[in-house]
This record gives sequence, structure tokens and C-alpha cells, in this order.
Amino acid sequence: MARYAHEIRDPIHTFIRLDDDERRVLDSRPFQRLRYIHQLATTYLVYPGATHRRFEHSLGVMELASQVFDVVTDPDNFRDEFRSTLALLAHTDQKAYWRRVVRMAALCHDIGHLPFSHAAEDELLPDGWDHERLTRALVSSDEMQDIWRSLTPPLRHEDIEKLAVGPKKALELNFSRGEEILAEIITGDAFGVDRIDYLLRDSHHAGVAYGKFDHYRLIDTLRILPAAQTNGSGESESPALGMEEGGIQSAEALMLARYFMYSQIYLHRVRRIYDIHLKDFLKSWLGGGMFSTELDDHVTMTDNEIMSALWKAAGAKGKPGHVHARRIVCRDHFKTLYERNPKDLEINMDAGRSVFEEAKRKFGAENFRRDSYGQKSSSGDFPVSRRDGRIESSLVISETLKNIPVVAIDYVFADRSCIEAAQEWLKRNHDRIVQPEREEENDDEPNA
Amino acid sequence: MMSRMRKAALLTSLIRSLKDGGSWCGETHIQKAAYFLQTLTNLHLGYQFTLYRYGPFSFDLRADLTALRADGLVTLEAQRPYGSRFVPTGRSEYVQSLYPKTLAKYGSAMDFVSKRLGGKDVSYLERVATALYVMEKAPQDPTPGDTARGVTELKPHISQSRALDAAREIEGIVAQARKEFPS
Repeated sequence: MARYAHEIRDPIHTFIRLDDDERRVLDSRPFQRLRYIHQLATTYLVYPGATHRRFEHSLGVMELASQVFDVVTDPDNFRDEFRSTLALLAHTDQKAYWRRVVRMAALCHDIGHLPFSHAAEDELLPDGWDHERLTRALVSSDEMQDIWRSLTPPLRHEDIEKLAVGPKKALELNFSRGEEILAEIITGDAFGVDRIDYLLRDSHHAGVAYGKFDHYRLIDTLRILPAAQTNGSGESESPALGMEEGGIQSAEALMLARYFMYSQIYLHRVRRIYDIHLKDFLKSWLGGGMFSTELDDHVTMTDNEIMSALWKAAGAKGKPGHVHARRIVCRDHFKTLYERNPKDLEINMDAGRSVFEEAKRKFGAENFRRDSYGQKSSSGDFPVSRRDGRIESSLVISETLKNIPVVAIDYVFADRSCIEAAQEWLKRNHDRIVQPEREEENDDEPNA
Repeated sequence: MMSRMRKAALLTSLIRSLKDGGSWCGETHIQKAAYFLQTLTNLHLGYQFTLYRYGPFSFDLRADLTALRADGLVTLEAQRPYGSRFVPTGRSEYVQSLYPKTLAKYGSAMDFVSKRLGGKDVSYLERVATALYVMEKAPQDPTPGDTARGVTELKPHISQSRALDAAREIEGIVAQARKEFPS
């Protein structure tokens, strides 16, 4: 194992230690750029402390990734039955290589983020592009490959790409089960250290307690376990990331932290409408209405360039994006006209869309914005090693995990100039508007 | 593009059909059934499948199943020793009632898949779905031996004899599907 020659102070993990090779990655342009990318986009307009950056989060993810790696590959914790399926974690030489890849992938997992992180991603990149694809492009760029090749042993950039973005964002690559597990350590829905770090860090900086949980206990109890029994029967040799029974409460706390952080911070209505105003500004300000996917352009575009342009545009009527920039700078954001609620869901799960479309027709499209988002995975189902040696699904053991709500939002926002009229109109017409359309015998059916 | 409500009606109807066919209705069962539906029948749900845990898998379908939970159209139930399964709620029947024509059109496709996959366990589903994946990616219809080799390359933990059984079985299913659902 390489000697850690560098220490960095961190508010979440106290010290983050790096070796000389990792320091070279840290000092590269793509990584240094992360000092100027807000972790939570415009959230600081609602929670003023949330001004932290992707830079320190990426360091935290590296620190946690190797902690998890060391726990799950510890010979005392590693099950003999996986020695052949997960050879890359069982044999000393391979293990040393992959530990290094895990740390580098964790360090680089966010280098493709656009300015203001997720706020600007949708609609502002060409079809087929997202920040994970930019991450992969940067990891395999000449600049970064010079680093990977110079290491002893050299690291394959494809391995770093795979673990940095996971199978969901590298659909064309085949992952071995071992690679899937390692990617899960970083990007996994249940115990991915990306999530563990951002919940703890975002909570700390936003000044809320929702995101805190006992991650020490959680990490200490993680294990690679047989997964089949969590998926409905049958013997299978497929391994998955799970935990010992003693950690189940820390997993519950993680999932609850996730639920509360999403509902209170990430999906906060005012933060969401500021993100939309920012996106509207960028569409006007960027040439062609989109970010460039050229890597040289990417590494020179940060939040700073955009903040500067935003303030200039807000103060000058003729500048592109003036209206949207002014909304952010002068805090003149759209107000909430409608939000998803249990009563409407009973008759129309797409009621937000119906309200949005009718409101635009009635008052003009420029006066409304809609924001709809749903959790992509509930992820509370993982294998648990019971004290008597049986493997069971976490959902069999924990009522809490089974009952944590899935987060979903659907907001319709209105310009302040028409919010009162729109509210009055919606009150009068609500029941009619949220009625779903019913398929009739003579309807043209979309090609399903 | 298919509306969210219509897709929800189809997915919950598929889960009900699988259950009627004897399925546990865990996520793996639904994932493989959706893959068979898209690959072999006239019902194209628009998912992109990649090779992942237990064979072909769609992350978009996982997101849609999670959305069904958020919308109260399915719940998760857990039972020893099998873990969790999806159970459609009464509200899902209401959503299905909005799309009688769509459900009638694709009922036979769902029956076709449910009859063949309904009562099977995860390891079987992994083998036959991976065999179908290998066949689908081949430039022309491969022999069962070729398919089996492809399966064991992608899934080294599957034995050659089990891969060959899966290849022969999937060849039969594909032939039946081509008869019932000519493209």
C-alpha cells in the first residue's frame, strides 16, 4: 500500500490522506476546477451555508470508498464462496490494483459536472450527453491518461471509468460481478459512498441535522453477501453489497437521512425554482443555448464565469437572459401555484401536468414553469447476514426500511404578476382540471 | 411517447398477470418479463436493457417501478425467505380501468410471457434471459451451442450444461413468439 504523504483537513472526516500519485490527480486541471463548482447549485439562496464545492466532496468520497473497500475485503469478512467469482478482491496483487482504482475512481467521479452541478444539466447538453459521460471523457483524456500510465503498476482508464460512473452510465460496457460490486461501493443506491458523503456534508453545510447518521457503524458492518434470497428464490452465486444484522439500524438511519434531505433540502421548492431560473438564463446566455462538450471548454467553465455573467445581465436590460438573471439576483422568483398532493394522486398521478398545461393556455406559457422529479430507486432491499448465519432480505427484517416513503415532487410555479389570478382560477377549476383522460374505443393509441 | 399513466396501467397489469402465472413478482421477475415482452412481442415499453445482475436489466424500468410505489399503485411486501415483491394496489385497478383498449390489445403478449416465466426462480430467469440477450445481439440466429457459449462468457458462474439447456429452451420460446407475434 502506498504511503500517504499528504493530509487535508476536512470538516466531515477530520483528515483525508493522499499519496503522491493521488496528489497528482488532485492537482490536475479537471480536478482543481471542482473548487469552483457549487455542490448544491443555488441551494445557498435558501440555506446560506450551503456554499461548499464538489472538490471537498470528491475527497470525502475517496476517503470513504477505501474505508468500505478495506472492510469488505478484510479476510475476516470475505466469504470463501466468492474467492473465484470475486477473484479481483481475493488475491493480494489484484486487490492492491483495484483498491487503487477504487480511490482514483472515487476521486474523479464528479469531474464531468457542469457549472452549478445538477441545476444546469437537463436540457443544456446535446442529446446523449450527461455529466457522467463528460467524466468518462475526462478520465480517458490525454491529460489524465498521462497520469494513469505513469503509475506503478499503470491503471487502465477503462477500469476507472467503470467504477466512477457505474453500470447505469456505462451501458455499453460489460461489468464483471467484482466490478459491479466495486462500482456499487462508489455509486450504489443503497450504500454508495457518494451518497454517504453528500448526505453528511450537505447536512453539515446547510445547517440541518436531517442528513446525519452513524456512518462509522454502517461502514464497519458492510459485507459482500449472497444476494439471491432477496430476489425471490433460488440458489445463486451472485454476490451483492449487504451488511451484518448489527448494522441494520444504521442503514435505517441512512435511508431516513436520504428521505429527509431530499424532501427538505434537495427538492425544496424555492431552491428548485431558482435552478429553473438559472437554467432559463443559461439557455439565453450560452452560445447555441447549450454547454460545449469539448473538454478544453469544459475545464475552463465554472460557476465563477456564470455568476459574473449573471450579475452583469441582471443589471443591463439588453443583455441576453436579463429577465431570468434579474429574478435570481433580485430574488423575484416564481411562486408555487400547485404541488403534488395525496388527494389528487388518488385520481390522477399526472395532475401536475394537467394543471401546468391548462395554466399555460389560460395565462400564457411564459408565466409558468413545472418541476417534476421522482426518486429513481428505493434501494432498501439488500442482503443481511443474521446472527445465526442465515442470509435474509433487509425488508424482511426491518419494518422501517419497508415503510420509508418514496420521494416525488411535482410543482407548478407562476410569475408573481399572475399568481393571485392563477390561484383563484385553479381554486374554481381544480376538480375539472385534475380529472384524467379516459381512453375511448375510437381513440388513436400511441405506439406502445 | 407513451404517457406515464398508460405505462403505469401496462406495468401494473403485467405484475398482475405475472402473479396469476405463479410468479413471486420480485424486481428480477418483472425486469425479465419486461425484457421478454419488448424483445419477443408487440408490446414495446421503450426501455433500454443492459447486462447487469441476473441478466438483462433496465435502470429506467427500476425508476418506473419506484415511481409506481410513490404514486401508490404498488406496495412492497416482504416474506421469508424470499424478500420483497411488488403488489398492485386497488388504485392500480382504477388506473387500468382508464385504458381498456390498450390492455386488451396487449393482454395476449402479457399472457405469453407470464405463462413462460411466471413460476420460475431467479437463477432460471438469469439463464434464459441471458440466452435471449445473446441471441438478440447475434447477427443471425445462432445455434444453441453458440448461444450457450455466449451465456457462459457473460456469466461465468453458469455451467455449460445449464447454459445449453437455457439456449435450447429460449430457441423454442423465440419460435413460438415469432408465430404468435409476427413483426
